[in-house]
Amino acid sequence: MATVEERVKAITAKVLKLNVDEIKLEDNFTADLGAESVQSIELVAMFEEEFGIEMDEDAALSVEVVGDAVKFITDVCKEQGVDVEE
Amino acid sequence: MSKVKKKHPLVDAKRPNLVEDIFPYSLPPLIRLEGPVTEIIDGKPVEFDFGAVKDRPIYITDTTFRDGQQARPPYTLEQMVKIYDLLAKLSGPNGVIRQTEFFLYTKNDRDTLDRCRELGHTYPECTGWIRAVKGDFRLVKEAGLKETGMLTSCSDYHIFQKLKFRSRKECLESYCEVVDAAFEAGVRPRCHLEDVTRADIEGFVLPFVERLMEMSEQVPEELTAKIRLCDTMGFGVSYPGAELPRSIAKLIYKLNRECGVPSDRLEWHGHNDFHKVHTNAGTAWLYGCDFINTTLFGFGERTGNPPLEGAIFEYIALKGDLCGINTLAITELAEYMRSIGLPIPDNYPFAGRAFNTTRAGIHAGGLRQDEQIYNIFDTTALLGRPPRVAITDKSGADGVAHWLNEFFGLKGDDRINKIRVHKLARWVIDQYDVEGRLTAISDQELEAKAKELYPDYWEKYKG
Repeated sequence: MATVEERVKAITAKVLKLNVDEIKLEDNFTADLGAESVQSIELVAMFEEEFGIEMDEDAALSVEVVGDAVKFITDVCKEQGVDVEE
Repeated sequence: MSKVKKKHPLVDAKRPNLVEDIFPYSLPPLIRLEGPVTEIIDGKPVEFDFGAVKDRPIYITDTTFRDGQQARPPYTLEQMVKIYDLLAKLSGPNGVIRQTEFFLYTKNDRDTLDRCRELGHTYPECTGWIRAVKGDFRLVKEAGLKETGMLTSCSDYHIFQKLKFRSRKECLESYCEVVDAAFEAGVRPRCHLEDVTRADIEGFVLPFVERLMEMSEQVPEELTAKIRLCDTMGFGVSYPGAELPRSIAKLIYKLNRECGVPSDRLEWHGHNDFHKVHTNAGTAWLYGCDFINTTLFGFGERTGNPPLEGAIFEYIALKGDLCGINTLAITELAEYMRSIGLPIPDNYPFAGRAFNTTRAGIHAGGLRQDEQIYNIFDTTALLGRPPRVAITDKSGADGVAHWLNEFFGLKGDDRINKIRVHKLARWVIDQYDVEGRLTAISDQELEAKAKELYPDYWEKYKG
Protein backbone atom coordinates (compact mmCIF):
# COMPACT_ATOMS: atom_id res chain seq x y z
CA MET A 1 0.00 0.00 0.00
CA ALA A 2 1.37 3.42 -0.92
CA THR A 3 2.16 5.86 1.88
CA VAL A 4 0.19 9.06 2.55
CA GLU A 5 3.08 11.04 1.11
CA GLU A 6 3.13 9.03 -2.11
CA ARG A 7 -0.64 9.29 -2.51
CA VAL A 8 -0.64 13.06 -1.81
CA LYS A 9 2.11 13.59 -4.36
CA ALA A 10 0.30 11.45 -6.94
CA ILE A 11 -2.95 13.43 -6.56
CA THR A 12 -1.05 16.70 -6.66
CA ALA A 13 0.74 15.66 -9.84
CA LYS A 14 -2.53 14.64 -11.46
CA VAL A 15 -4.47 17.81 -10.55
CA LEU A 16 -1.64 20.22 -11.31
CA LYS A 17 -0.49 18.25 -14.35
CA LEU A 18 3.07 17.77 -13.08
CA ASN A 19 5.58 14.94 -13.01
CA VAL A 20 5.33 13.31 -9.57
CA ASP A 21 9.13 13.29 -9.25
CA GLU A 22 9.13 17.11 -9.41
CA ILE A 23 7.08 17.44 -6.21
CA LYS A 24 8.95 17.88 -2.92
CA LEU A 25 7.61 17.94 0.62
CA GLU A 26 8.75 21.53 1.13
CA ASP A 27 6.97 22.80 -2.00
CA ASN A 28 4.30 25.45 -1.61
CA PHE A 29 1.22 24.46 -3.64
CA THR A 30 0.72 27.96 -5.00
CA ALA A 31 4.16 29.56 -5.16
CA ASP A 32 6.20 26.50 -6.19
CA LEU A 33 3.72 24.23 -7.93
CA GLY A 34 1.54 26.94 -9.52
CA ALA A 35 -1.81 25.88 -8.07
CA GLU A 36 -4.56 28.33 -9.03
CA SER A 37 -7.61 29.07 -6.88
CA VAL A 38 -9.88 26.43 -8.40
CA GLN A 39 -7.06 23.87 -8.41
CA SER A 40 -6.68 24.30 -4.64
CA ILE A 41 -10.34 23.36 -4.28
CA GLU A 42 -9.87 20.44 -6.65
CA LEU A 43 -6.88 19.23 -4.65
CA VAL A 44 -8.87 19.17 -1.41
CA ALA A 45 -11.78 17.42 -3.14
CA MET A 46 -9.44 14.80 -4.65
CA PHE A 47 -7.69 14.19 -1.32
CA GLU A 48 -11.08 13.60 0.29
CA GLU A 49 -12.01 11.15 -2.45
CA GLU A 50 -8.65 9.37 -2.39
CA PHE A 51 -8.62 8.86 1.39
CA GLY A 52 -12.35 8.55 1.97
CA ILE A 53 -12.37 11.39 4.51
CA GLU A 54 -14.12 14.72 5.03
CA MET A 55 -11.99 17.73 5.81
CA ASP A 56 -12.94 21.06 7.31
CA GLU A 57 -13.05 23.46 4.38
CA ASP A 58 -11.28 26.41 5.94
CA ALA A 59 -8.64 24.30 7.71
CA ALA A 60 -7.88 22.26 4.59
CA LEU A 61 -7.62 25.32 2.35
CA SER A 62 -5.24 27.00 4.78
CA VAL A 63 -2.62 24.27 4.28
CA GLU A 64 0.00 25.71 1.93
CA VAL A 65 2.87 23.19 1.80
CA VAL A 66 2.91 19.58 0.54
CA GLY A 67 4.51 18.23 3.74
CA ASP A 68 1.88 19.99 5.86
CA ALA A 69 -0.83 18.45 3.71
CA VAL A 70 0.62 14.97 4.34
CA LYS A 71 0.55 15.59 8.10
CA PHE A 72 -2.92 17.19 8.01
CA ILE A 73 -4.43 14.32 6.03
CA THR A 74 -2.73 11.72 8.24
CA ASP A 75 -4.25 13.38 11.33
CA VAL A 76 -7.72 13.57 9.76
CA CYS A 77 -7.50 9.89 8.75
CA LYS A 78 -6.68 8.95 12.32
CA GLU A 79 -9.52 11.07 13.70
CA GLN A 80 -11.98 9.50 11.27
CA GLY A 81 -10.71 5.93 11.75
CA VAL A 82 -9.25 5.49 8.29
CA ASP A 83 -6.21 3.19 8.07
CA VAL A 84 -3.30 4.62 6.14
CA GLU A 85 0.37 3.76 5.57
CA GLU A 86 2.52 6.50 7.10
CA MET B 1 3.50 67.16 6.04
CA SER B 2 0.72 69.15 7.74
CA LYS B 3 0.80 69.72 11.47
CA VAL B 4 -1.14 67.15 13.51
CA LYS B 5 -4.16 68.88 15.07
CA LYS B 6 -5.71 66.04 17.03
CA LYS B 7 -4.58 62.56 18.12
CA HIS B 8 -6.79 59.58 17.36
CA PRO B 9 -5.73 56.57 19.45
CA LEU B 10 -6.85 53.12 18.29
CA VAL B 11 -9.95 51.90 20.10
CA ASP B 12 -9.14 48.21 20.25
CA ALA B 13 -12.03 45.76 20.16
CA LYS B 14 -12.50 42.00 20.26
CA ARG B 15 -16.00 42.25 18.84
CA PRO B 16 -17.00 44.14 15.71
CA ASN B 17 -18.85 47.42 15.81
CA LEU B 18 -21.24 47.03 12.90
CA VAL B 19 -22.72 50.50 13.41
CA GLU B 20 -26.16 48.97 13.46
CA ASP B 21 -27.85 52.13 14.69
CA ILE B 22 -27.17 53.56 11.22
CA PHE B 23 -27.06 50.29 9.25
CA PRO B 24 -29.95 48.25 10.69
CA TYR B 25 -30.04 45.98 7.58
CA SER B 26 -33.80 45.48 8.01
CA LEU B 27 -34.09 49.06 6.65
CA PRO B 28 -31.98 51.05 4.21
CA PRO B 29 -29.06 52.82 5.93
CA LEU B 30 -30.46 55.65 8.02
CA ILE B 31 -29.55 59.27 7.34
CA ARG B 32 -29.07 60.91 10.71
CA LEU B 33 -28.61 64.63 10.49
CA GLU B 34 -26.89 66.93 12.93
CA GLY B 35 -27.98 70.54 12.92
CA PRO B 36 -28.28 73.34 12.57
CA VAL B 37 -26.77 74.05 9.16
CA THR B 38 -25.83 77.63 8.37
CA GLU B 39 -25.99 79.16 4.92
CA ILE B 40 -24.93 82.72 4.11
CA ILE B 41 -27.76 84.42 2.25
CA ASP B 42 -27.56 88.06 1.21
CA GLY B 43 -24.51 88.37 3.43
CA LYS B 44 -26.25 87.12 6.58
CA PRO B 45 -26.09 83.70 8.28
CA VAL B 46 -29.35 81.76 8.03
CA GLU B 47 -29.96 78.56 9.97
CA PHE B 48 -31.71 75.45 8.66
CA ASP B 49 -32.72 72.62 10.97
CA PHE B 50 -32.18 69.53 8.81
CA GLY B 51 -32.93 67.19 11.73
CA ALA B 52 -36.51 68.46 11.76
CA VAL B 53 -37.17 66.52 8.53
CA LYS B 54 -37.66 63.38 10.65
CA ASP B 55 -40.86 64.84 12.06
CA ARG B 56 -41.90 67.15 9.24
CA PRO B 57 -44.79 65.91 7.05
CA ILE B 58 -42.77 65.44 3.88
CA TYR B 59 -44.16 63.59 0.87
CA ILE B 60 -43.40 62.27 -2.59
CA THR B 61 -45.48 63.22 -5.61
CA ASP B 62 -45.49 61.45 -8.94
CA THR B 63 -45.50 62.59 -12.54
CA THR B 64 -45.02 59.25 -14.29
CA PHE B 65 -48.15 59.87 -16.36
CA ARG B 66 -47.17 63.44 -17.32
CA ASP B 67 -43.42 64.10 -17.47
CA GLY B 68 -42.74 60.37 -17.61
CA GLN B 69 -45.07 59.92 -20.54
CA GLN B 70 -43.64 62.89 -22.44
CA ALA B 71 -40.48 60.83 -22.86
CA ARG B 72 -42.04 57.74 -24.44
CA PRO B 73 -44.89 56.50 -26.59
CA PRO B 74 -48.22 56.85 -24.76
CA TYR B 75 -49.24 54.23 -22.21
CA THR B 76 -52.50 52.44 -22.88
CA LEU B 77 -55.39 53.03 -20.54
CA GLU B 78 -54.99 49.58 -19.02
CA GLN B 79 -51.28 50.09 -18.45
CA MET B 80 -51.86 53.38 -16.62
CA VAL B 81 -54.54 51.88 -14.41
CA LYS B 82 -52.22 49.01 -13.50
CA ILE B 83 -49.34 51.40 -12.72
CA TYR B 84 -51.62 53.64 -10.64
CA ASP B 85 -52.83 50.61 -8.69
CA LEU B 86 -49.23 49.57 -7.94
CA LEU B 87 -48.30 53.14 -6.97
CA ALA B 88 -51.10 53.04 -4.40
CA LYS B 89 -49.80 49.71 -3.12
CA LEU B 90 -46.28 51.12 -2.81
CA SER B 91 -47.50 54.33 -1.18
CA GLY B 92 -49.19 52.51 1.68
CA PRO B 93 -51.99 53.70 3.98
CA ASN B 94 -50.19 56.89 5.02
CA GLY B 95 -50.07 58.20 1.50
CA VAL B 96 -46.34 58.77 1.30
CA ILE B 97 -46.84 59.07 -2.48
CA ARG B 98 -49.33 61.86 -2.07
CA GLN B 99 -50.34 62.86 -5.57
CA THR B 100 -49.97 61.94 -9.21
CA GLU B 101 -50.87 64.15 -12.16
CA PHE B 102 -52.73 63.44 -15.37
CA PHE B 103 -53.06 65.07 -18.74
CA LEU B 104 -56.68 66.00 -19.46
CA TYR B 105 -56.62 66.85 -23.15
CA THR B 106 -57.87 63.70 -24.86
CA LYS B 107 -60.79 61.37 -24.22
CA ASN B 108 -58.28 58.66 -23.42
CA ASP B 109 -56.67 60.95 -20.80
CA ARG B 110 -60.01 61.57 -19.13
CA ASP B 111 -61.16 57.94 -19.32
CA THR B 112 -57.88 56.88 -17.71
CA LEU B 113 -58.36 59.32 -14.86
CA ASP B 114 -61.90 57.99 -14.28
CA ARG B 115 -60.74 54.38 -14.28
CA CYS B 116 -57.94 55.13 -11.81
CA ARG B 117 -60.31 56.91 -9.45
CA GLU B 118 -62.78 54.02 -9.71
CA LEU B 119 -60.15 51.87 -7.94
CA GLY B 120 -61.05 53.83 -4.81
CA HIS B 121 -57.55 54.52 -3.53
CA THR B 122 -57.16 57.53 -1.25
CA TYR B 123 -53.54 58.01 -2.35
CA PRO B 124 -52.01 59.03 -4.64
CA GLU B 125 -54.57 61.80 -5.12
CA CYS B 126 -55.23 62.50 -8.79
CA THR B 127 -54.46 66.02 -9.98
CA GLY B 128 -54.40 67.60 -13.43
CA TRP B 129 -51.87 69.33 -15.62
CA ILE B 130 -52.83 72.08 -18.06
CA ARG B 131 -51.35 75.00 -19.93
CA ALA B 132 -51.74 78.46 -18.39
CA VAL B 133 -54.83 79.01 -20.48
CA LYS B 134 -58.09 80.10 -18.88
CA GLY B 135 -60.24 77.84 -21.04
CA ASP B 136 -58.39 74.75 -19.83
CA PHE B 137 -60.04 75.04 -16.41
CA ARG B 138 -63.20 73.72 -17.97
CA LEU B 139 -61.37 70.43 -18.43
CA VAL B 140 -60.26 70.39 -14.79
CA LYS B 141 -63.73 71.25 -13.55
CA GLU B 142 -65.43 68.67 -15.75
CA ALA B 143 -63.02 66.04 -14.52
CA GLY B 144 -63.97 66.91 -10.96
CA LEU B 145 -60.37 67.53 -9.88
CA LYS B 146 -59.58 69.75 -6.92
CA GLU B 147 -56.08 70.73 -8.04
CA THR B 148 -54.18 71.22 -11.23
CA GLY B 149 -50.67 72.11 -12.20
CA MET B 150 -50.31 74.94 -14.70
CA LEU B 151 -47.32 76.21 -16.60
CA THR B 152 -46.03 79.54 -15.33
CA SER B 153 -42.60 79.62 -16.91
CA CYS B 154 -40.39 82.19 -15.26
CA SER B 155 -36.99 82.48 -16.94
CA ASP B 156 -36.52 85.12 -19.60
CA TYR B 157 -35.61 82.26 -21.96
CA HIS B 158 -39.24 81.20 -21.70
CA ILE B 159 -40.93 84.57 -21.11
CA PHE B 160 -39.37 86.28 -24.10
CA GLN B 161 -37.87 83.61 -26.34
CA LYS B 162 -40.55 80.94 -26.12
CA LEU B 163 -43.79 82.61 -25.04
CA LYS B 164 -43.05 85.89 -26.85
CA PHE B 165 -44.33 88.20 -24.13
CA ARG B 166 -43.36 91.80 -24.73
CA SER B 167 -42.46 92.40 -21.10
CA ARG B 168 -42.24 90.61 -17.77
CA LYS B 169 -45.19 92.65 -16.54
CA GLU B 170 -47.36 91.42 -19.40
CA CYS B 171 -46.31 87.87 -18.58
CA LEU B 172 -47.00 88.22 -14.87
CA GLU B 173 -50.44 89.72 -15.48
CA SER B 174 -51.27 86.95 -17.91
CA TYR B 175 -50.33 84.24 -15.39
CA CYS B 176 -52.29 85.97 -12.64
CA GLU B 177 -55.40 86.10 -14.82
CA VAL B 178 -55.20 82.32 -15.18
CA VAL B 179 -54.71 81.87 -11.45
CA ASP B 180 -57.78 84.01 -10.89
CA ALA B 181 -59.67 81.79 -13.31
CA ALA B 182 -58.64 78.79 -11.26
CA PHE B 183 -59.92 80.39 -8.08
CA GLU B 184 -63.18 81.26 -9.80
CA ALA B 185 -63.52 77.68 -10.98
CA GLY B 186 -62.92 76.43 -7.44
CA VAL B 187 -59.75 74.64 -8.52
CA ARG B 188 -56.51 74.92 -6.56
CA PRO B 189 -53.72 76.17 -8.86
CA ARG B 190 -50.27 74.64 -8.57
CA CYS B 191 -48.02 77.11 -10.34
CA HIS B 192 -45.13 75.36 -12.07
CA LEU B 193 -42.26 77.85 -12.09
CA GLU B 194 -40.66 76.41 -15.20
CA ASP B 195 -36.93 77.02 -15.65
CA VAL B 196 -36.66 78.63 -12.22
CA THR B 197 -32.97 77.70 -11.88
CA ARG B 198 -32.23 79.94 -14.88
CA ALA B 199 -34.57 82.78 -13.95
CA ASP B 200 -34.13 86.29 -12.58
CA ILE B 201 -35.14 85.45 -9.02
CA GLU B 202 -35.27 88.96 -7.55
CA GLY B 203 -36.56 90.56 -10.73
CA PHE B 204 -39.40 88.18 -11.64
CA VAL B 205 -39.80 85.05 -9.53
CA LEU B 206 -40.15 86.67 -6.11
CA PRO B 207 -42.50 89.46 -7.27
CA PHE B 208 -44.68 86.85 -9.02
CA VAL B 209 -44.76 84.57 -5.99
CA GLU B 210 -45.53 87.52 -3.70
CA ARG B 211 -48.45 88.36 -5.94
CA LEU B 212 -49.65 84.77 -5.78
CA MET B 213 -49.49 84.88 -2.00
CA GLU B 214 -51.50 88.09 -1.91
CA MET B 215 -54.11 86.59 -4.24
CA SER B 216 -54.22 83.47 -2.08
CA GLU B 217 -55.17 85.53 0.95
CA GLN B 218 -58.51 86.19 -0.73
CA VAL B 219 -59.50 82.52 -1.10
CA PRO B 220 -60.18 79.62 1.27
CA GLU B 221 -57.14 77.64 2.42
CA GLU B 222 -57.94 74.67 0.18
CA LEU B 223 -57.70 76.88 -2.90
CA THR B 224 -54.49 78.75 -2.04
CA ALA B 225 -51.81 78.59 -4.72
CA LYS B 226 -49.10 75.96 -4.46
CA ILE B 227 -45.67 76.51 -5.97
CA ARG B 228 -43.70 73.90 -7.88
CA LEU B 229 -40.04 74.83 -8.37
CA CYS B 230 -39.21 73.33 -11.74
CA ASP B 231 -35.52 72.73 -12.38
CA THR B 232 -36.40 72.23 -16.02
CA MET B 233 -32.85 71.82 -17.31
CA GLY B 234 -31.28 70.22 -14.26
CA PHE B 235 -29.28 73.34 -13.39
CA GLY B 236 -30.08 73.19 -9.65
CA VAL B 237 -27.12 72.87 -7.28
CA SER B 238 -27.25 71.44 -3.78
CA TYR B 239 -23.89 72.71 -2.52
CA PRO B 240 -23.90 75.20 0.34
CA GLY B 241 -22.56 78.52 -0.89
CA ALA B 242 -23.89 78.09 -4.44
CA GLU B 243 -25.31 81.29 -5.92
CA LEU B 244 -28.80 82.04 -7.19
CA PRO B 245 -30.51 81.13 -9.40
CA ARG B 246 -28.92 77.64 -9.18
CA SER B 247 -28.86 77.32 -5.39
CA ILE B 248 -31.68 75.09 -4.16
CA ALA B 249 -31.18 76.31 -0.59
CA LYS B 250 -31.50 79.95 -1.52
CA LEU B 251 -34.44 79.42 -3.85
CA ILE B 252 -36.40 77.67 -1.15
CA TYR B 253 -35.35 80.18 1.50
CA LYS B 254 -36.51 83.09 -0.60
CA LEU B 255 -39.91 81.56 -1.31
CA ASN B 256 -40.42 79.99 2.09
CA ARG B 257 -39.16 82.67 4.45
CA GLU B 258 -39.19 85.89 2.42
CA CYS B 259 -42.36 85.37 0.36
CA GLY B 260 -44.04 83.30 3.08
CA VAL B 261 -44.97 80.26 0.98
CA PRO B 262 -45.58 77.55 3.60
CA SER B 263 -43.57 74.35 3.22
CA ASP B 264 -46.73 72.36 2.57
CA ARG B 265 -47.32 74.44 -0.55
CA LEU B 266 -43.79 74.04 -1.93
CA GLU B 267 -42.72 71.27 -4.28
CA TRP B 268 -39.45 70.49 -6.10
CA HIS B 269 -39.40 69.07 -9.63
CA GLY B 270 -35.96 68.17 -10.99
CA HIS B 271 -34.27 66.87 -14.12
CA ASN B 272 -31.15 64.78 -14.39
CA ASP B 273 -29.12 66.57 -17.04
CA PHE B 274 -26.13 66.89 -14.72
CA HIS B 275 -26.55 63.67 -12.70
CA LYS B 276 -27.78 65.67 -9.70
CA VAL B 277 -31.43 64.82 -9.76
CA HIS B 278 -31.89 62.57 -6.72
CA THR B 279 -29.64 64.51 -4.37
CA ASN B 280 -31.22 67.78 -5.48
CA ALA B 281 -34.66 66.46 -4.59
CA GLY B 282 -33.49 65.28 -1.17
CA THR B 283 -31.87 68.67 -0.65
CA ALA B 284 -35.19 70.37 -1.38
CA TRP B 285 -36.80 68.31 1.38
CA LEU B 286 -34.12 69.35 3.85
CA TYR B 287 -34.31 73.09 3.07
CA GLY B 288 -38.08 73.29 3.43
CA CYS B 289 -40.01 71.83 0.47
CA ASP B 290 -42.50 69.30 1.81
CA PHE B 291 -43.06 67.71 -1.60
CA ILE B 292 -40.66 66.30 -4.15
CA ASN B 293 -41.93 65.35 -7.57
CA THR B 294 -40.70 62.10 -9.12
CA THR B 295 -41.26 59.50 -11.82
CA LEU B 296 -41.01 55.74 -11.70
CA PHE B 297 -37.44 54.68 -12.43
CA GLY B 298 -36.61 58.31 -13.17
CA PHE B 299 -38.07 57.99 -16.62
CA GLY B 300 -38.94 61.46 -17.95
CA GLU B 301 -38.16 64.21 -20.41
CA ARG B 302 -34.59 63.89 -21.75
CA THR B 303 -32.46 62.60 -18.89
CA GLY B 304 -35.42 62.09 -16.61
CA ASN B 305 -36.65 63.11 -13.19
CA PRO B 306 -35.92 62.13 -9.59
CA PRO B 307 -36.56 58.39 -9.46
CA LEU B 308 -39.59 57.64 -7.33
CA GLU B 309 -38.11 54.47 -5.88
CA GLY B 310 -34.96 56.39 -4.92
CA ALA B 311 -37.12 58.95 -3.13
CA ILE B 312 -38.89 56.10 -1.33
CA PHE B 313 -35.63 54.79 0.13
CA GLU B 314 -34.47 58.33 0.92
CA TYR B 315 -37.74 58.89 2.76
CA ILE B 316 -37.32 55.73 4.83
CA ALA B 317 -33.69 56.63 5.54
CA LEU B 318 -34.66 60.10 6.77
CA LYS B 319 -37.67 58.91 8.78
CA GLY B 320 -36.03 55.78 10.19
CA ASP B 321 -39.19 53.82 9.54
CA LEU B 322 -41.09 52.23 6.67
CA CYS B 323 -44.09 54.45 7.48
CA GLY B 324 -46.45 51.92 5.90
CA ILE B 325 -44.60 51.86 2.56
CA ASN B 326 -44.76 48.50 0.76
CA THR B 327 -41.31 48.44 -0.82
CA LEU B 328 -41.95 45.05 -2.44
CA ALA B 329 -44.20 46.89 -4.89
CA ILE B 330 -41.06 48.44 -6.41
CA THR B 331 -40.07 45.02 -7.74
CA GLU B 332 -43.62 44.44 -9.01
CA LEU B 333 -43.53 47.80 -10.76
CA ALA B 334 -40.12 47.07 -12.29
CA GLU B 335 -41.31 43.72 -13.62
CA TYR B 336 -44.47 45.28 -14.99
CA MET B 337 -42.66 48.20 -16.61
CA ARG B 338 -40.18 45.82 -18.24
CA SER B 339 -43.06 43.70 -19.50
CA ILE B 340 -44.52 46.72 -21.34
CA GLY B 341 -41.22 47.73 -22.87
CA LEU B 342 -39.66 50.25 -20.48
CA PRO B 343 -35.92 49.65 -20.55
CA ILE B 344 -34.44 49.45 -17.04
CA PRO B 345 -30.65 49.02 -17.17
CA ASP B 346 -29.39 45.89 -15.40
CA ASN B 347 -27.27 47.92 -12.98
CA TYR B 348 -30.04 50.41 -12.16
CA PRO B 349 -30.35 50.81 -8.35
CA PHE B 350 -33.13 48.89 -6.56
CA ALA B 351 -34.80 47.64 -9.75
CA GLY B 352 -32.24 46.55 -12.36
CA ARG B 353 -31.88 42.81 -12.87
CA ALA B 354 -28.33 42.92 -11.50
CA PHE B 355 -28.50 45.79 -8.97
CA ASN B 356 -27.36 43.48 -6.16
CA THR B 357 -25.40 41.02 -8.25
CA THR B 358 -21.66 40.84 -7.66
CA ARG B 359 -19.22 39.56 -10.27
CA ALA B 360 -15.97 39.61 -8.32
CA GLY B 361 -14.98 36.34 -6.66
CA ILE B 362 -13.57 38.16 -3.66
CA HIS B 363 -16.93 39.89 -3.11
CA ALA B 364 -18.73 36.59 -3.57
CA GLY B 365 -16.47 35.17 -0.89
CA GLY B 366 -17.64 37.93 1.44
CA LEU B 367 -21.27 37.34 0.52
CA ARG B 368 -20.87 33.64 1.25
CA GLN B 369 -19.62 34.39 4.75
CA ASP B 370 -22.16 37.10 5.58
CA GLU B 371 -24.42 38.70 2.98
CA GLN B 372 -24.39 42.00 4.88
CA ILE B 373 -20.77 42.51 3.82
CA TYR B 374 -21.74 43.15 0.20
CA ASN B 375 -25.49 43.78 0.24
CA ILE B 376 -26.82 47.30 0.81
CA PHE B 377 -29.73 46.21 3.04
CA ASP B 378 -32.02 43.21 3.37
CA THR B 379 -32.98 43.24 -0.28
CA THR B 380 -34.73 39.88 0.13
CA ALA B 381 -37.17 41.28 2.69
CA LEU B 382 -37.60 44.77 1.24
CA LEU B 383 -37.52 44.01 -2.49
CA GLY B 384 -37.88 40.23 -2.77
CA ARG B 385 -34.40 40.23 -4.36
CA PRO B 386 -31.70 38.18 -2.58
CA PRO B 387 -28.10 39.18 -3.40
CA ARG B 388 -26.69 37.23 -6.30
CA VAL B 389 -23.45 36.55 -8.07
CA ALA B 390 -22.92 36.59 -11.82
CA ILE B 391 -20.56 33.88 -12.91
CA THR B 392 -17.52 34.80 -14.96
CA ASP B 393 -13.83 33.86 -14.91
CA LYS B 394 -13.48 36.28 -11.96
CA SER B 395 -16.10 34.58 -9.79
CA GLY B 396 -13.89 31.89 -8.29
CA ALA B 397 -15.17 28.93 -6.31
CA ASP B 398 -16.74 31.35 -3.80
CA GLY B 399 -18.90 32.87 -6.48
CA VAL B 400 -19.91 29.50 -7.87
CA ALA B 401 -20.73 28.21 -4.38
CA HIS B 402 -22.86 31.28 -3.67
CA TRP B 403 -24.72 30.89 -6.95
CA LEU B 404 -25.34 27.18 -6.37
CA ASN B 405 -26.60 27.67 -2.80
CA GLU B 406 -28.91 30.49 -3.87
CA PHE B 407 -30.16 28.38 -6.76
CA PHE B 408 -31.00 25.40 -4.54
CA GLY B 409 -32.22 27.72 -1.77
CA LEU B 410 -29.81 26.26 0.81
CA LYS B 411 -29.16 28.05 4.08
CA GLY B 412 -26.97 27.54 7.17
CA ASP B 413 -25.48 24.08 7.58
CA ASP B 414 -27.33 22.83 4.51
CA ARG B 415 -25.21 25.02 2.27
CA ILE B 416 -22.86 23.26 -0.13
CA ASN B 417 -19.28 24.14 0.73
CA LYS B 418 -16.64 25.35 -1.69
CA ILE B 419 -14.97 21.95 -1.98
CA ARG B 420 -18.17 20.31 -3.18
CA VAL B 421 -18.55 22.80 -6.03
CA HIS B 422 -15.19 22.06 -7.60
CA LYS B 423 -16.63 20.34 -10.65
CA LEU B 424 -18.89 23.28 -11.51
CA ALA B 425 -16.07 25.74 -10.73
CA ARG B 426 -13.77 23.79 -13.08
CA TRP B 427 -16.39 23.85 -15.84
CA VAL B 428 -16.70 27.63 -15.42
CA ILE B 429 -12.93 28.18 -15.59
CA ASP B 430 -12.62 25.94 -18.64
CA GLN B 431 -15.28 27.98 -20.41
CA TYR B 432 -12.81 30.86 -20.40
CA ASP B 433 -9.38 29.19 -20.34
CA VAL B 434 -10.14 26.38 -22.77
CA GLU B 435 -13.15 27.56 -24.77
CA GLY B 436 -12.03 31.19 -25.00
CA ARG B 437 -15.35 32.56 -23.83
CA LEU B 438 -15.68 36.33 -23.26
CA THR B 439 -19.23 36.67 -21.88
CA ALA B 440 -20.82 35.99 -18.48
CA ILE B 441 -22.41 32.59 -18.04
CA SER B 442 -26.18 32.75 -17.98
CA ASP B 443 -28.34 31.31 -15.23
CA GLN B 444 -29.86 28.93 -17.77
CA GLU B 445 -26.47 27.46 -18.63
CA LEU B 446 -25.54 27.10 -14.98
CA GLU B 447 -28.86 25.48 -14.18
CA ALA B 448 -28.32 22.88 -16.87
CA LYS B 449 -24.83 22.17 -15.54
CA ALA B 450 -26.06 22.03 -11.93
CA LYS B 451 -28.62 19.43 -12.95
CA GLU B 452 -25.90 17.33 -14.59
CA LEU B 453 -23.28 17.65 -11.82
CA TYR B 454 -25.49 17.65 -8.72
CA PRO B 455 -28.34 15.22 -9.53
CA ASP B 456 -29.02 14.48 -5.85
CA TYR B 457 -29.53 18.13 -4.99
CA TRP B 458 -31.56 18.65 -8.14
CA GLU B 459 -33.83 15.78 -7.23
CA LYS B 460 -34.28 17.05 -3.68
CA TYR B 461 -34.71 20.78 -4.30
CA LYS B 462 -35.77 21.15 -7.91
CA GLY B 463 -37.31 17.82 -8.78
